[in-house]
Amino acid sequence: VSGRPDPARVRLDAEVLAWTREAEWRDDPVRFEALALELFAHQFARCAPYARFCQARGLAPRRVRRWQEIPAVPSGAFKELRLTSFRGPALHVFRTSGTSTARRGELHLDTLEVYEASSLASFERFVLPELAPGERTTLRVLAPAPEEAPDSSLSHMFGCVRRARGDFHSAFDLSGGRLRLEDLFAALRAAEAEARAVTLAGTAFAFVHLLEALAEGKLRLRLPAGSRAMETGGFKGRSREVAREELHGWIAGRLGIPPARTVNQYGMTELGSQFYDSTLRRPGEPVRKLGPPWARVRIVDPEGADVPPGGVGRIAVYDLANTGSVLAVQTADLGRARADGFEVLGREPGAEARGCSVAADLLLGAQEPGW
Amino acid sequence: MVTGRDATPASIRAALARLREASRALARRPPRAALASLARLLDEWRDPGSPRRRELEAALPAATGFSPETVRAGLAVSLEPLSGEALERVARRELGGMRALEGRGALHICGFETTAVLLAGALPTPTLLDLLLPLALGSGVLAKPSRHDPVTPRVLAGALADLDPELAACLALAPFGSDGAGCLDAFLEADCVVATGSDQTVAEVARRLRPPRRLLPRGHRLSVAALGPAATRGRALESAAEGLARDVALWDQLGCLSPLAVLVCDRPGGAARVAEALAAALDAAEARWPRGRVPEAARAAFAREHEEAEFRAAAGRPVRVLGGRGSPFTVVLEEDARPRPAPLHRFLRVQPCRDGADLIESLRPLAPWLAGVALAGFGRARPELARALARLGASRVCAVGRLQQPPLAWHHEGVALLLPLARLCDLELTGLRA
Repeated sequence: VSGRPDPARVRLDAEVLAWTREAEWRDDPVRFEALALELFAHQFARCAPYARFCQARGLAPRRVRRWQEIPAVPSGAFKELRLTSFRGPALHVFRTSGTSTARRGELHLDTLEVYEASSLASFERFVLPELAPGERTTLRVLAPAPEEAPDSSLSHMFGCVRRARGDFHSAFDLSGGRLRLEDLFAALRAAEAEARAVTLAGTAFAFVHLLEALAEGKLRLRLPAGSRAMETGGFKGRSREVAREELHGWIAGRLGIPPARTVNQYGMTELGSQFYDSTLRRPGEPVRKLGPPWARVRIVDPEGADVPPGGVGRIAVYDLANTGSVLAVQTADLGRARADGFEVLGREPGAEARGCSVAADLLLGAQEPGW
Repeated sequence: MVTGRDATPASIRAALARLREASRALARRPPRAALASLARLLDEWRDPGSPRRRELEAALPAATGFSPETVRAGLAVSLEPLSGEALERVARRELGGMRALEGRGALHICGFETTAVLLAGALPTPTLLDLLLPLALGSGVLAKPSRHDPVTPRVLAGALADLDPELAACLALAPFGSDGAGCLDAFLEADCVVATGSDQTVAEVARRLRPPRRLLPRGHRLSVAALGPAATRGRALESAAEGLARDVALWDQLGCLSPLAVLVCDRPGGAARVAEALAAALDAAEARWPRGRVPEAARAAFAREHEEAEFRAAAGRPVRVLGGRGSPFTVVLEEDARPRPAPLHRFLRVQPCRDGADLIESLRPLAPWLAGVALAGFGRARPELARALARLGASRVCAVGRLQQPPLAWHHEGVALLLPLARLCDLELTGLRA
């Protein structure tokens, strides 16, 4: 698509792809740092806006010695500029959700290979850890199919997972903005009757709709042992908000999937990798977010320095799967380091709570506030 | 009257019952007596030397996070127009004098027996008015203090107790947590509910409210400033920048009348001059009214927007960021007038506009939330622009530098102050047999 392949990029992609295919995941800081610094140099040379941003901070590849020194791009920049480290047109563009008035963030990709490999490997490790390699599951997705939402990275990821690990009973259960409740209920009841475990995955808000529909119909399902749920996303711009613990308790009450088998995913359109609750991969341990070894997180203060252990700060993600854009992304979310992972505290509406000015959220719809 | 440090559904219902009694007792007095007491209270609070004013000045910084200097100046500026006479003027204007309140005309006006006021935020003067207006109509007022300002309702209750114990019996405070759904449901059993807070909070109250009850939503709002060509250079620019810096610095840009953006209708270069002047003025304002406490989440949002603007500037967009990282203010000279995130705490965007029509179109997406618009430098175009802003949805158009000093009669939410809190009855007595 973009003409002759860039040999440096081909090699970097191959390195990351090789990592995603390894059977055992090992925390390997030396390998991560070497690849991160190489990828930074590559992106600095090819992504002019990013290079200028780094230069304005007095940083360039020759002056960056540690991966933590790589300047992180604020996630809002993806709304403003095309941040690519390849020449030529994009093969695929993922966009953040939003309204017609809010500008949407965009991730331009010249290949989906790394994105798909990273996403699938993480989903398998964190959501399907006890399944044998290649074993399939009934995947019911509370999100639109990729054909219906081609610019949704979440739908694309679910599409990959369905192809690789979904069985004959798998389906996307959200279409035209509505859950196909009849089909879904029938499928879940059939799974219940056949004692066939189900993997129910989708946006948190779609889960709320499903659970409300079950509550309205006074319905309770006891999905078979081995079933699991994966939810993601927040409630920004939605008519109602449900705390995560409440949602997981509700899933247990109406669907029979206990909180110990429900995981939250933390992901962003701007990233090629995702992070998941440790619940299924490390059962019995305190819950924290874990990711693949090719993605790392720092918790930083407003000046960009690491906050002391246990302190609250902004989540910065360094993701080697972002070979085609920029690997270091400063998110808008607050978090806290937890053992070998981290905890997401969300975007507290702290700025507006003390006053009576609209500010932090909700103006202009779901994604971003306006002045 | 306080229902206790942590109210329960039972204590809230008991408080409502006591308030009904207190309101009925108050109804036996001439209505002008309550109004006179409240007018005296306002006049006392306007006096910087009065004990209650000093109590507010002493307690608010720790409770609200504003610096002592900001609290002192903010109170001075915002209380100044809240005179007893202004309150009586509003009563006369909206109620047509005392006849209706006293039941001497064909229209009978009275407050609800109970009004629940859900308070939010840390700004003392909106809190004061939200409590005082239903009291002026003789309503029993049950207030849930904001966790960001537990001081103002307490000081008001104390002041009333000293001034007019019978009126003081019509005010009760019911502190309870946001997780207390049972408490909220009991609280919403009042006849009239004033709900201040975010759109989400107001929507939640509306969802839980059982009819027939009156709900007066007081949602969060935003304000902006607009400068015309006559205010973008020389002494006029200096003066406008000083005024805007005060509008921003007082209450740390957290009030609904704090400007979040300055739209500049001028030839190219005008917005850049305004941005530079504002940065200098905000720097000077920091010395007079230091920025207060900034919560972690707000600090993060501030840094995020600062970085995002820096990124655009570094990437070659015509954007400038004034105020360094870690500075107590940021001014961003934007390339266009489209709405952007506002992290508050003295983060101001300066945005170029072609003309008044462009200004109105730029503000249109935000019209439902628009409160105040401060203007300077539009010359003879000002009245027409002000009318266009009113049609757009602004509830106040004023001069730059005056945003934090709304008159008592300001139609917050674009509605009358007292009438929505009142019950009206037409007395058609002439056709009735004695």
